[in-house]
Amino acid sequence: MSEQKRSEEGSVSSPVIRKRYIATFALALTVIVGVVVFYLSSLQASLTSNLMTSVDEISLHDVESIEAWLDTTWSRLDSVSNRLEATKVDSVFEAEQELNIEAASSEMFDALYLLAADGTLYSSTYVELTDVEHSYDELMATGQDRFAMLYEEENGRLETTKESLIYGVRIDSLFIEGQEFIAVLGRSDVSTIRNQLLIESFDGQGISSVVNSRGYYIVNSSPATDLAGRDNFYDMLEAGHLEGGVTIDDIRNNIIEGERFTVDCVTADHQALVLSFAPVKGTNWSFLMAVPTKVFEERFAPFMTMTVGMMIVVVLVLALMMALLYRFMRRSVVARAESDARAEFLSNMSHEIRTPLNGIIGIQHLMTRHLDEPSVMQDYVRKLGNAAQYLLSLVNDVLDVSKLQAGKMNVVSEPFNLHEVIENVCEMQREPMADKGTKFTLDETDLRWVCLTGDGVRLSQVIMNILSNAVKFTPRDGSIDVAVRQKLLVSSEVATTITIRDTGCGMTPEFQKHIFDAFTQERNRNSESQKGTGLGMSISFMLMGLMGGTLSVKSTLGKGSCFTIYLPAYPGKLSGSVSGLTEAPKAKEGSTQALVEASAHALAQGVLEGSEESGKEAAATTVHSDALPGSGADSKSEEVPKVYRVLVAEDNELNAEIISTLLTEEGFEVVVAGDGKEALTRFEESTPGFYTVILMDAQMPVMDGYESAQAIRALNHPDAQSVPIIACTASTFAEDRARAEAAGMTDFVAKPIDISALLVKLDALIKGGQ
Amino acid sequence: MVSGNKHEGSRFLTNAGLVLALLLAVVLSVAPLLSGCSAVPTNEPVQIVIKVPRTSHSSLNDESISTIDEVVTLMAEDFMESYSQPVDVKVEVFEQSAYEDAVAGSFDTDKAADVLYGDYFNMSTFIHSGHVVPLDDIITPELQQDIYPFLWELSTVEDGVYMMPYLARQNVLAYNKDLFRQAGLESYIQDDGIQSWTQEEWTIILDTLAANLPQNTFPLMMYAHSSQGDTHIMTMLRAYGSPFFDEHGHFALSDLEAVQALDWIQQGVDRGWYPPHAENLEIEDCSRLFRGGQLAIYMINNVSVGRYGDSIGLVNFPGPDGGNATMFVSGFEVFDNGDPEKLQVAKDFLAHVYGSEPLMEYAAGTIPASMTVAEKYADETPRFTDFQENQTNVVDFTGGNPDTLSVREVFHEGMAKLLRKELTPEETAAWIDERANNAIDAGWATHVIHS
Repeated sequence: MSEQKRSEEGSVSSPVIRKRYIATFALALTVIVGVVVFYLSSLQASLTSNLMTSVDEISLHDVESIEAWLDTTWSRLDSVSNRLEATKVDSVFEAEQELNIEAASSEMFDALYLLAADGTLYSSTYVELTDVEHSYDELMATGQDRFAMLYEEENGRLETTKESLIYGVRIDSLFIEGQEFIAVLGRSDVSTIRNQLLIESFDGQGISSVVNSRGYYIVNSSPATDLAGRDNFYDMLEAGHLEGGVTIDDIRNNIIEGERFTVDCVTADHQALVLSFAPVKGTNWSFLMAVPTKVFEERFAPFMTMTVGMMIVVVLVLALMMALLYRFMRRSVVARAESDARAEFLSNMSHEIRTPLNGIIGIQHLMTRHLDEPSVMQDYVRKLGNAAQYLLSLVNDVLDVSKLQAGKMNVVSEPFNLHEVIENVCEMQREPMADKGTKFTLDETDLRWVCLTGDGVRLSQVIMNILSNAVKFTPRDGSIDVAVRQKLLVSSEVATTITIRDTGCGMTPEFQKHIFDAFTQERNRNSESQKGTGLGMSISFMLMGLMGGTLSVKSTLGKGSCFTIYLPAYPGKLSGSVSGLTEAPKAKEGSTQALVEASAHALAQGVLEGSEESGKEAAATTVHSDALPGSGADSKSEEVPKVYRVLVAEDNELNAEIISTLLTEEGFEVVVAGDGKEALTRFEESTPGFYTVILMDAQMPVMDGYESAQAIRALNHPDAQSVPIIACTASTFAEDRARAEAAGMTDFVAKPIDISALLVKLDALIKGGQ
Repeated sequence: MVSGNKHEGSRFLTNAGLVLALLLAVVLSVAPLLSGCSAVPTNEPVQIVIKVPRTSHSSLNDESISTIDEVVTLMAEDFMESYSQPVDVKVEVFEQSAYEDAVAGSFDTDKAADVLYGDYFNMSTFIHSGHVVPLDDIITPELQQDIYPFLWELSTVEDGVYMMPYLARQNVLAYNKDLFRQAGLESYIQDDGIQSWTQEEWTIILDTLAANLPQNTFPLMMYAHSSQGDTHIMTMLRAYGSPFFDEHGHFALSDLEAVQALDWIQQGVDRGWYPPHAENLEIEDCSRLFRGGQLAIYMINNVSVGRYGDSIGLVNFPGPDGGNATMFVSGFEVFDNGDPEKLQVAKDFLAHVYGSEPLMEYAAGTIPASMTVAEKYADETPRFTDFQENQTNVVDFTGGNPDTLSVREVFHEGMAKLLRKELTPEETAAWIDERANNAIDAGWATHVIHS
């Protein structure tokens, strides 16, 4: 499968994968929420069930206590009945007296009664009520053998007005004075049964009571003292309201039918209650436990809080773990992608390096055959130079990317001429554009601030990268338009926008997303002729970011691309006029030199991108100086020409020979030292003023360049402090420069040595020395 | 229909509840921060509590009144409407036998009574606990003149008026005319006035009744199962002229006259004057017997006399010189519970009641403390003149001792022993004297008067 296909598939499948991730996440979230809801529901149901179980247990306890009390009471009445029979009283009056003594000896009853078959009620207090004066005999009609009821005056006014309970047991065939008696009744103060109940529960919030089917309390938390003051349960319900469509009649019927049930209600003072009813066997009473709803909520709240808190923590931990996992996976993917990209890059680099090397080797081979043919040799030498220059630019690019990624790339902030920057770059591309018949326009009508403060060299590099690409990807008879716009910002900065628009092959949207990524350039897609490391855009993008600007692109596949460079910069102040676009002020000399280097760099980019022709410019760019020992100016001097000796410390014999030859040909006298120690010795043994300059390789056996430089500076030699020491190293990072400086070296020349640049430096040194 | 055991499922976890519950965790953490911010000062009304024992009452100016707490409630409502500041007067009713729990039991709690309405002989105990404040500062000259002097006298302790009399009920005995006729005692029946019989006459009448009444109908009330109504039995101990108390307010039942009376009462057991085993009865039992026509002679007061119409005749308790009657004075006390604001409102309540003629007129039908009310309703009050004229036969049954409630617990137990014949009359007198006087002495030892 071709890379293009993979790329296209990748661009298509990415949204699908994203949707899948979102769907998976949503599903997971749904599952978690579902589980939490289920868990909380179960927990709540369990707690509610537990609480209701507690209610049931308390109810059961109290109901059993009441029923046990009732059984005891009825048993006492049975005993009274049995004793009456055993006593064999002769008269009802005697029976009343017996009852009087029974009642007095019992703490259970305030009074005892005998119910005659004709309905007459005889009391232990001697009160006699005929059947018309009471209705307690009706209880016998129900067929019950035992009964208990709340004393109500409607059933017959007895001796008391206090709230009391009436208990009764059926007796068999007790005849006194020929009168048949059918039941024994007992009257107790209602407080006697109250002691059988746990009135309060749930920390005093749950209240137990017993009500009869008429709603009167048998037992209440705030008992009435007499009949007139007693409360009615149904009155409480009527004052509030029942939940769930339940009516008071429902409750009344349930109590009568001896049902066990639960209802919710809200009292008149807006208190929500859970009412749990349990029948009391043998009566029409119902044990009632009223528990405020808030008890359930209060019991549930801590669990809910803890659970929600726990769930939140679990979800957060899971989310964190997922995020970490995702990040790890993403990193793995990125690392793999980067690894792939690096592998591809190394493969490309290998190719790119081997190609010119192969050329160099081939040319070297050809040169050995044509040593005596100067014209052929000249062409080989030129090609050799191009190949070498290409290799150099390749290394420079890699170093640039490395430095930019490591944050070690520094940009300068100094005045530069924007017009010159643009003009130089465009000038370098005019020839290839002309070759392809490309229509080129440069619009600088809006260029109002020619001089800006910034790094013109790096800007030139960026423009060259973009423009050379535009040239490369624009087909024959296409067009390239460069436009410069400027405006003054509130911050007094000048916003410069340079647009480079071409009618090239354009890019896919997917590729546009990655065009500025390092090592991930899509390559070999739009042009088979495309060559180079593919780092140009990445470098340009990072450089613009470093300079505080931006680089963006809009492109349509098959129609062309438009790169936009945006750079905010303060207006610069050159020592000359800034209004003349072509003026080259004094300070510009430095800039000129830098631009020359930038041109070389840019050309290297051009070479990098496969434009061999553009390399001609680089090869043709040289710096001439009148001050050099071999220059015409020197040769015309009437004075005895001064000998400029250069001590070259270089362990590599070939490099030493090359530099020696080059410098010798330029008129220098060269002394070579094979390591730092030897260089130190030679300098120490030299006479004052013998060496004009020392070229010190950094990495050498025995003693490296840094030690050697330090040692030289430490010598008691008249020139020890003044002799220039130029570091020559392949390491070009800022720290290397700083280390060289710290070792006492005067200047820094990167390997491979740019002879022209070196000669400029030597020229400057010599002029300085003069 | 109500379903049973429907609580097994989720009761509160509705969907909305779940959302709320989920939010609860967040809210709970914030709630404590907010809780301190919601208190808004409000002008809360001063709340005072008036406690009243459930007591039947009839008023000539309002026939709907049946208990005294209804009157006090009307007083409270009238006061709340007219008072110059927001005030909440709560009327709490308690059982006659629950003075100790309702009043002393709630001292120093938020249920403490600020005002107590009750019978003097029950209320006086609290004066000696130091909780009741003197009320002289609310007695205006007009009020001073309007209240019967003897009531001021009964209301005064150590030169301070600690109780405000509202009404009085005079207690005498009543006899069932029908039962008297059944027993052949028509000659003793009198339609008007309050009779008094000599001791001999009493003995004859009771013996006659015992002999002639049906088997389950009894001549005279007698009870000793509880302290309720014991003051009437105490009055019977004066039958032979015993003053009951000595000059120091101590029980003096070991005197000859008192022992004679005890002996006379004990003889009645065997002579069938009382329901058998009367020591096991309470006054309510006797009341029920009297109302059911099973008891010939029972106590009555000038308020309840109207219920029986012409079916009863009135006679003083046995005693020389026209027999004896007792007076239950009822009125108000104000308690100092440590809140000056409540104390002032409580006093203002009484000042309002005693300054209001309509409120004072709710005593009409009894013996009103206000002479103005008494005179205004004299003609309408049943047997008003009879009870007025009988005032001279009224005796004090409290002795002015500080702990009447403790004394009462002793007395009925002693009488039960007498009726059961566990003790002779002399032993009974000594038994009661010893324990009652110990209670009195203990009361004096701990008595404190609020100054």
